[in-house]
Amino acid sequence: MLDVQGLRKEYGELVAVRDIRFQLYPGDVFGFIGPNGAGKTTTIKMLATLLEPTAGTATLNGIDIVRHPEEVRPLLGYMPDFFGLYEGITVTEYLEFFAAAYRIPKSQRATIIENVLELTDLTVKKDAYVETLSRGMQQRLCLAKSLVHDPILLLLDEPASGLDPRARIEIKELIRELGAMGKIVLVSSHILPELADFCNKIGIIEKGELLVWGVVDEIIEQLQANRVLEIKPLGDPEPLIQRLERESHVHGVETRNGSLYVHFAGGLEEQADLLAALIRDGFRIAAFREESLDLEDVFMRITKGEVS
Amino acid sequence: MRALRENPLLRYHLLGATRHRWRRQPWLYGAAVLGIGLVYLLVLQLTVFSEASIYATLWLTLFVMCIAAPLMAYNLFSLEYEKQTWESLALTRLTAREIFWGKYGAALTRVALTTLLFAPFILTTHHTNGYVIAASFATLFGWGTLLISVSLWLSFKLKRTLNTAATLYAGQVIVLWLLPMLYTMVISLNYVSSYVLRDLISSVQSYTEAFGTWLFALFNGAFIVYANPFTVATELEHMGEPITYWRDTPHTLYREGLYFMLWGFVQSIFYLGLAALFAGLTYRGIKISWRK
Repeated sequence: MLDVQGLRKEYGELVAVRDIRFQLYPGDVFGFIGPNGAGKTTTIKMLATLLEPTAGTATLNGIDIVRHPEEVRPLLGYMPDFFGLYEGITVTEYLEFFAAAYRIPKSQRATIIENVLELTDLTVKKDAYVETLSRGMQQRLCLAKSLVHDPILLLLDEPASGLDPRARIEIKELIRELGAMGKIVLVSSHILPELADFCNKIGIIEKGELLVWGVVDEIIEQLQANRVLEIKPLGDPEPLIQRLERESHVHGVETRNGSLYVHFAGGLEEQADLLAALIRDGFRIAAFREESLDLEDVFMRITKGEVS
Repeated sequence: MRALRENPLLRYHLLGATRHRWRRQPWLYGAAVLGIGLVYLLVLQLTVFSEASIYATLWLTLFVMCIAAPLMAYNLFSLEYEKQTWESLALTRLTAREIFWGKYGAALTRVALTTLLFAPFILTTHHTNGYVIAASFATLFGWGTLLISVSLWLSFKLKRTLNTAATLYAGQVIVLWLLPMLYTMVISLNYVSSYVLRDLISSVQSYTEAFGTWLFALFNGAFIVYANPFTVATELEHMGEPITYWRDTPHTLYREGLYFMLWGFVQSIFYLGLAALFAGLTYRGIKISWRK
């Protein structure tokens, strides 16, 4: 279990990350969302033990990352947003290097490397020189390197940045598989559709502050307390707008492309009552639906577009 | 020593990074080896047949060491930063000691091999003795070790390969050429002081006096000249010549003074001491910055 408790990082007067708290369990794939400069990478680097927090701490399976970084490091795999690879060696040699550096016994290395290559779909490239691999393959090799020692926590900072669509899909599949294997995966990104598919939990960070975190569906549900209803009337919309504005649950009405977008503060019962009332009053309604929220809507509603 | 045995970083820096280049560009590397080999043999032939003195051969080998030693270590840390590989390395179970020895060990091995490569030059020079040969090797290896230690530390601190290289070569020009020249110019202004460098050595006729002279040299600035490896080479020349050359001349005292001062060895110990200091600073830097 990863338990983050009040993690904070200050650079002089600048507070890059302020008092972040969340908990993740095996199998969780946590999407860490925020605009550039929000504090995602700083948080990940603190969790990766590369940066010392100004205050707060985190524990991984009960081990304090601040007080015992050397004990935590073998338990985590880290893939930075910008990374390089040791050149002049082959893919297998590269993985052997890290297997040796993680003190995996010689007798086990070949099997582990074979498995990791298979998982990351790099078996066909095992004898290729590292520097000859495409960006997508290098990304997968970096991930393979992070998996060699079978970590329980994976910290992936913008894993799909700079990849072509196919490589993006492949890396998403891989992350999903890692979650299914029972690893805790923390993935940061500022590209939301990238995360929507495979994260079961998200955290939205802005200006160094974790604005919201939790299970994706629950967050969407919370935000839908203020729903938007799309109503498509037949004929002149003006009488309908005037009628809607008299409703106590309605906070505003916008008109776009012949449809009315109604800001509605009620639940499903109130929606049904509204529809029945409108029809009873003689309005002809061609469509009546609640606008569903996706991760992008959630992000736009919660954040203000500020950086720390 | 575990930091050297089974150290993947040492293996990578010594073999991994270069092994495949031979296979990938055999013609380029073959031509380079052939060219360097030919120059090496030509110079060796000149040294043997023209009865070159230790002064000439040691100057030559020191010059090559000044050029080559920084290249053995100047990018060992800066490339980790430039290519963003240091974070992955820092997170492995390698200790700070292993990371340090993985890099320093590789550079030190290369300095040792370069010193050995120059052995035929030093061994075949004219008018040498055991002392001069041993002092020459010590000076060459000591200076090379100091250079790689400073290179490694600068590479760690500056984090940029180009800056490290520029600082190293500019630093050598200042330390080996500009500073001694400036010092000599300044003391030349005083007629009495202008003899200080040689007279100091000639006055030494015991090990106790030698110790005092070294201390004095530290304070009066003469150490800038004495610690220069090229000065070491120049004076070793006097120590190798047969005693009959010098008998009953003022130079006899000078030659004896050099022996009492353990000329060449003291400087080598100084280089190695300074090298250990820079190596220690690098090791400490890894421990602190990489949280190892």
